[in-house]
Amino acid sequence: MLTRRDFVAKLAVAGAGLGAICAARGAGLSVDAAPDAPTTRREVVSFHMDRPYIDRTGTAMPYYPPRGARSAEPAARLSEESFRRIQCYA
Amino acid sequence: MVDFSNHPEMKGFFAPTRFEADVYDCEVTGKIPSDLNGAFVRLGGDWLYPPKFEDDSPFSMDGYINMFRFKNGIVDYKGRWVKTPRYKADLAAHKQLFGKYRNPFTDDASVHNLDRSVQNTTPLCFAGKLFTLKEDSLPYEIDPKTLETIGPYDFHGKYKSLTFTAHPKVDPVTGDMICYGYEATGLETRDVFLYTIDKTGHVKREVRFQVPYVAMVHDIGLTQKHVLIPVYGFVSSMERLKEGKVHWGWDNTKPAYVGIIPRDGEAKDIRWFKGPSRAPVHTLNARTEGEKVILEAAIYDGNPFPFFPPIDGSPWDPTKARAYIRRNTFNLASKDDGFTEEKLFEMNVSDLGRVDDRYLSLPYRYAFTAYGDKQRPFDQWKAGNLGGRVNNCYGRFDLATGKMSSYFAGDTHSLQEVCFVPRKNGAEGEGYVIGVASNYAEMRSELIIADAQHLEDGDVARVLLPFRATAQVHGRWMNEDELPFA
Repeated sequence: MLTRRDFVAKLAVAGAGLGAICAARGAGLSVDAAPDAPTTRREVVSFHMDRPYIDRTGTAMPYYPPRGARSAEPAARLSEESFRRIQCYA
Repeated sequence: MVDFSNHPEMKGFFAPTRFEADVYDCEVTGKIPSDLNGAFVRLGGDWLYPPKFEDDSPFSMDGYINMFRFKNGIVDYKGRWVKTPRYKADLAAHKQLFGKYRNPFTDDASVHNLDRSVQNTTPLCFAGKLFTLKEDSLPYEIDPKTLETIGPYDFHGKYKSLTFTAHPKVDPVTGDMICYGYEATGLETRDVFLYTIDKTGHVKREVRFQVPYVAMVHDIGLTQKHVLIPVYGFVSSMERLKEGKVHWGWDNTKPAYVGIIPRDGEAKDIRWFKGPSRAPVHTLNARTEGEKVILEAAIYDGNPFPFFPPIDGSPWDPTKARAYIRRNTFNLASKDDGFTEEKLFEMNVSDLGRVDDRYLSLPYRYAFTAYGDKQRPFDQWKAGNLGGRVNNCYGRFDLATGKMSSYFAGDTHSLQEVCFVPRKNGAEGEGYVIGVASNYAEMRSELIIADAQHLEDGDVARVLLPFRATAQVHGRWMNEDELPFA
């Protein structure tokens, strides 16, 4: 006998499975068949005012690691006094 | 074991390099001008071992001399430690034995009678010899072919001061060198010995006098008739040395003095002029016009060096550490002991300025120095975040018109001291502006060569080193015929 409790539980499992299949096919189809169409928007890491943030709309430019050695970076956190101690003339 | 981990500021581009180097036929972009034959010799410092005290001055770094040798369009690079007794003692002990800046009371007992000079300030070419200079000791002679250290030099035994300035002046008319030593008879003495040495390296003249108080006398001004001796707020005393402090502290209550002595005068002929507290660490040029003596320099409003802190315990003030090109005028005909001061350009510049040395002590028009232009871009994604603390331009300052032309080094670069190389038989200011740039994106040093009359056009050539050259204090161009280079 199918109880209401069992029915709800099986429906939930079936629904989750169906959803996963649809999502997988949907993602594949959207890329293969319509590359210019809006796809599932994914979170991207971006930067604003030198600070990282997660853009949950997926509309920001993704973050790419900076080019270059960024070898001046150790000076970023130094006070003017500390900076002059290492860099007074160079 | 060498361990710099207690110095988190010494990372990235600012980490010690600690190696000697030879690079033959350096990589070049652009074209090396065919009339540049000789060498650009740089002197600065690097830590062989970490400083014994965290609050020591960077001026305690071990001397390192390096040379870009130009010959027929090819450039070779060579870098060597200045092998002083101090360097050798540290290397033998595998640690830093020497304490705070010019304070022997803070040294290890094993080195108490040793010359503690680090020879890290200015290279000098004179009388066919190459020297390193540091104002706490005699010059050190260097082999121009190998850059190996020969040793202290006393001008045939006739130079009697215990110390020798980092800024001697060579008169372009006579070839004489006007030089001096302060604290000339020992630590904390007010004695200054002023010398004229002829172009063959023989002492012609000596004058001994005293300054108003023990102070850093880092640079002087020279005219055809006078020598100008600035004395200002970096003070010292035996008490502060015995308390274990660095040699200099800043005393904001001390007036800035400028002593003026005729070049053929005696100690009794010195006249001391007095002005507001300033720090004229380096001079540009000076001249005598009738009864007036004129000094031009990029002069700081106050103390530029936080490692020489205020003696009253107040915090170091970064707003005073700004230098402006100024003109000081001294009227010898007046009984007033004051002088006038004009600010010639309303922009903060590096005090390491230069002129066309053929016009030293004479009327002149152009000064060159580095400065930071915040309107220019800086790509911190490639270079790192310097917080705007970058000297990205060299400027040519026209003192006759008040105009300025500018060279921009690029959006990942910061420039060290400028040097001017005159074109043979050219008019004043005709020639090349050269200097080393720190490329923070590639983590390497580049020697910039630009036409001094067309700075806006960018550089005509860059010499690319595959590593960071040691930080420069001063650099000098030396012509092919001045030294027996390799």
